[in-house]
Amino acid sequence: MRGRGILHRIVNLVIFIVLEIAMLHLVTNSADLQRIWVARASHAFMGTVWGATESVRNYFTLSAENKKLAQENEKLQQQLAQARHRLRQARIDTTRTDTHPGYTLTPAEVVKISRNKQHNYLILNRGFEDGIQEKSGIVTTHGVVGIIDAVSEHHAFALSLQNHDISISARIGEEGGSGILVWDGIHSNGALLKEIPLQYHYQPGDTVYTSGHSLLFPPDIPLGVAGDSRVINGATNEITVTLFQDFSSVRYVTVVHNDSFDEIEGFKE
Amino acid sequence: MKRGFWIAYVLLLLAQLLMSNYFHVTPYIFLTILPVMVLCIPIRVGTAGAMFIACASGLVVDFLSEGVLGLNALALIPVAFARHGIIGLIFGPELFARKEDFSVGRCGFGKVAVSIFLALLIFLVIYIWADGAGTRPLWFNGLRLAASLVASFVVSLLTLGVLAPDPRK
Repeated sequence: MRGRGILHRIVNLVIFIVLEIAMLHLVTNSADLQRIWVARASHAFMGTVWGATESVRNYFTLSAENKKLAQENEKLQQQLAQARHRLRQARIDTTRTDTHPGYTLTPAEVVKISRNKQHNYLILNRGFEDGIQEKSGIVTTHGVVGIIDAVSEHHAFALSLQNHDISISARIGEEGGSGILVWDGIHSNGALLKEIPLQYHYQPGDTVYTSGHSLLFPPDIPLGVAGDSRVINGATNEITVTLFQDFSSVRYVTVVHNDSFDEIEGFKE
Repeated sequence: MKRGFWIAYVLLLLAQLLMSNYFHVTPYIFLTILPVMVLCIPIRVGTAGAMFIACASGLVVDFLSEGVLGLNALALIPVAFARHGIIGLIFGPELFARKEDFSVGRCGFGKVAVSIFLALLIFLVIYIWADGAGTRPLWFNGLRLAASLVASFVVSLLTLGVLAPDPRK
């Protein structure tokens, strides 16, 4: 009798939870405000709970990460010294020292990243309180990582470059043709550069850069190295690209936002 | 089983529809009689049955009035889930043993009023919280909760004669 009572309560609880989830789903599908509210709550949950597990994993890879940062620092110091030397030689007087003029740069840390899906995402520890806006690019010194899709108070949800929904404008070589770079869907560092007109010649091994034609990324960020190609419909080349960015170890990133984004987007309306 | 309860339930559901569509005096007051309707569902109907009835009632109001689809149902299902708990807490377990429904004449006005207040509180906290979707300040939600609670409580008391009539009359 008592067992039956407990079973009854469990059944009621299950029905309650199922009905509430169904109603919450209805509410979020019928109103934008509620959809954003639930999405924010979900992102906050993922950022807090899964971010904590990621922090533990990060802790154990600190040593390797520090080594990598030290190497990167050394490389940057060398580049800085060379640049200063060249500057002195050319007697150039300049006050511009920013790497990407016209873009606001915000450093951020990846608190959660998915890598094993076809629609991968990442969550950053910066939100609109830190000046992060939607439709901003995410880059590292090794290339492009993704695009900010939604922003909450303290976190940003981004679509990774390893996501079929993302394509970025890219150029082959210093002055080569521009096309669309997408993830190949198979390799963690594999991408395809599509729609390169046939008249543009290139050599395997040429570097692929951001073209700057999109509003999201500054031009001339090295993305990867060109490989084999094939002709599509007799009209364009599709080139395989090996990306410089290693998505398995990405942790510190820079969010870039075009200062003129809203103004330029306004022309489209 | 209370005579004519379900006819009264449907008529009050229509009354709720009219209130939802035409009662727009101030954003601080949301008038509802749905919680008292669910609370007064005959005791023979179990919690699961009451939850389905609450879900259907909420959806009807959401669908036929200017609300967000699912919002009334989202707030009303917890009332049905807590209905037996509220009745047991306020009126004691005797009602369940005798399978009797509560009424003002049998249980006293005070106890019935407290049970309606609790049901309304559960409903309005969830409704106002989900309706605001995190965009309204706490003071607004608090004020809206208090004003809606008072207004809905008064209207709910008026429906008691229909939903929970005194069987001795």
